[in-house]
Amino acid sequence: MSRVYVGMSGGVDSSLTAALLKEQGYDVTGVYMKNWTQDLPGMKCPWADELADAKRVAVQLGIDFKVFDFEAEYKQKVVDYMVQEYSAGRTPNPDIMCNQEVKFKLFLEAALEDGADLIATGHYATVQAGLTPPLDPEVNSEAAPHPLKAVRGARLLQAKDSNKDQTYFLYRVTESALEKTLFPLGEFTKPEVRQMAEDRGLYTAGKKDSQGICFVGQIGMREFLSQYVDTKAGSIIDQRTGDVLGQHDGAIFYTLGQRHGLDVGGGLPYYVVGKSMDKNEVYVTTDLNNENLWRKTINLANVHWINGRPDEASYMIRVRHRAKLVEASLKQTDNGVELLLKDAERAVTPGQSVVIYDGAICLGGGIVV
Amino acid sequence: MLDDIIYLDHAAATPIDRRVFASMEPYFGELFYNPSSPYKQAVAVRRDYESARATIAQAIGAKPGEIIMTAGATESINLAFSAASGHAVTSAIEHDSVLAAAKRHDHTIIAVGESGIAAAADVQAAVTDKTTIISVALANNELGTIQPISALAEIVAEVRRTRLHQGNKTPLYLHTDASQGVGQLDIQVARLGVDMMSLNAGKVYGPKQVGLLWIKPSVVVEPQIVGGGQEGGLRSGTENVAGVVGFATALRQASEKRKSETARLQKLRDYLQKQLVEAFPDAVLSGNSKRRLSGHLHISFPGVDAERLVFMLENDNVMVATGSACAANKDTRSHVLEAIGLDPAVIDGSLRLTLGRLSTEANTKLAADKIKQAVSLEMKRSRGQA
Repeated sequence: MSRVYVGMSGGVDSSLTAALLKEQGYDVTGVYMKNWTQDLPGMKCPWADELADAKRVAVQLGIDFKVFDFEAEYKQKVVDYMVQEYSAGRTPNPDIMCNQEVKFKLFLEAALEDGADLIATGHYATVQAGLTPPLDPEVNSEAAPHPLKAVRGARLLQAKDSNKDQTYFLYRVTESALEKTLFPLGEFTKPEVRQMAEDRGLYTAGKKDSQGICFVGQIGMREFLSQYVDTKAGSIIDQRTGDVLGQHDGAIFYTLGQRHGLDVGGGLPYYVVGKSMDKNEVYVTTDLNNENLWRKTINLANVHWINGRPDEASYMIRVRHRAKLVEASLKQTDNGVELLLKDAERAVTPGQSVVIYDGAICLGGGIVV
Repeated sequence: MLDDIIYLDHAAATPIDRRVFASMEPYFGELFYNPSSPYKQAVAVRRDYESARATIAQAIGAKPGEIIMTAGATESINLAFSAASGHAVTSAIEHDSVLAAAKRHDHTIIAVGESGIAAAADVQAAVTDKTTIISVALANNELGTIQPISALAEIVAEVRRTRLHQGNKTPLYLHTDASQGVGQLDIQVARLGVDMMSLNAGKVYGPKQVGLLWIKPSVVVEPQIVGGGQEGGLRSGTENVAGVVGFATALRQASEKRKSETARLQKLRDYLQKQLVEAFPDAVLSGNSKRRLSGHLHISFPGVDAERLVFMLENDNVMVATGSACAANKDTRSHVLEAIGLDPAVIDGSLRLTLGRLSTEANTKLAADKIKQAVSLEMKRSRGQA
């Protein structure tokens, strides 16, 4: 009987994941990953309730339950990375980093070390391992422009529920990690998952989905960042005329395409089209068609391919989580890849990830330069 | 609704008694007036409030003017410590509120042995020329062990005599939080020999956030909440009339039922203890088993994760407490259990079962069965993984 360590967060998805694997006959151990949080003096740690819920479900299922403490590593690999990226004027995606560095690296290693054969999480994605069989025609219905190649190892495929598909967050996971990973929820939709959790009477069945990045918590990104980075007021400048339109409280807080919170009064809404971290200036426009808001060519660095470098060809890409898949042709460059989009995309933001698909297969991706 | 639950956590909270609730109800409705208002309708409410205070005073053998109503026992304890200007002495098994209040002063926290009873001699040894307050609960909230308050009162009297003799004018007060003992122990302040006593309505089938501090007339406390000068200027804020009326009803009932209820609970507790100890000979009972509250049972199953037992039993509507560290934090093991020297494995396998008015013969029997079942399951599971 294979031993699976399931990352249990106290939410409905990971709860059902553990339940399903147990039903499938695995020897399941639930693991709560203790990540970094800000402790406020005199207050009960906010994640204690999540942990208790995870443990409740483990007890309900009669499975072992453990706590893995990744606080220090999480702080370093995810939080510090995020602050550093924002400080450099980019808009990072800490969830992707968390998957790459914590869940599918530290957790996997710690689980294997502890005696697990496999790990599992409640992500909406599918792993296809071994010699790849032909894809399920339904999953493949997004019309792969290229014939699938059989590979040994493991492929990452989009979830059945395209609305919930989380492969965008998983594109930096390695093939060897995927070989040891189960995503039992990949073949279900969210409503199905809720129903199944309810049918099994899982304690977390009715819980609301968590929102946002856990460690930023209730305070919001702006407040969070201001605790780590010194910010000062600067000018909001009309990109076209060069006129100073108003003041901002730190260029770090602004991101491409942003409309709200600019505090520039009157007339048409302004959008952020750029910023200079050196000059602490934010550039805005009222022109929805501004060239800086739209990109047809995207350069990616820090590229990660799950199953090796794909051919230069046309693929479907996604510029943010749940964004529509759009067509682009891929060209390898010295520093990464260049994507030439069929149609221009709005607000493709430096620091964010672009993920590349071949039909249902997530090939990998990179970070927008 | 309450008939469907098996509640073994009376030390944490008690359900409001029906008659207590009935006595409170008018003050949420037709008698909502501010007791400080001038018209006769409000004056009548003021009278009811003072009459409730008198009832409470009677229940503890005190004068109404010596009682300061507070929002619960924690506030009462904070107020009591305001009487202390110098050194404070308390024990390692006190409630967090006492320990936190003591730590605001120069303080000595005396160690307590496995009996779970603070030794009067240790308290005596900790008293210095500058000690102004000794605070020890009448009964420990986790172990249910009854503390030697009268012996401490004798020590305090002796220290006072010595100080008088030496011309040391430092006052010394004995404070006790008697919240856990109400309804089971004698809480007549004169017999206890204390100078200050805290009580909590929420532990005696009254409302939460209602409590009191009784002080001897010679004790000077500093108001912690200032404002309109209510409670003799020692605790400002519009009086919680409904809460205090409910508290009075609750205390009156508790003293009426004390003897019979104590005997009834002891019988049920002894039954539960026997059932569990017979089923699990390795179980560890903590705290002095003679000098403890009749509804308290503190039992550990070493090697079992008691938090899992809590989560398992809650699904059967059986509610129990544990001194184990919550999985969230290894540092949250009960300081009381650590203080009396229990091994981490014993602490993590510990259940605090506290019986009370919701306990019946039938549901105590059912509780014994459910707990035995849960412990067996957990023992089997943890053996399976080894």
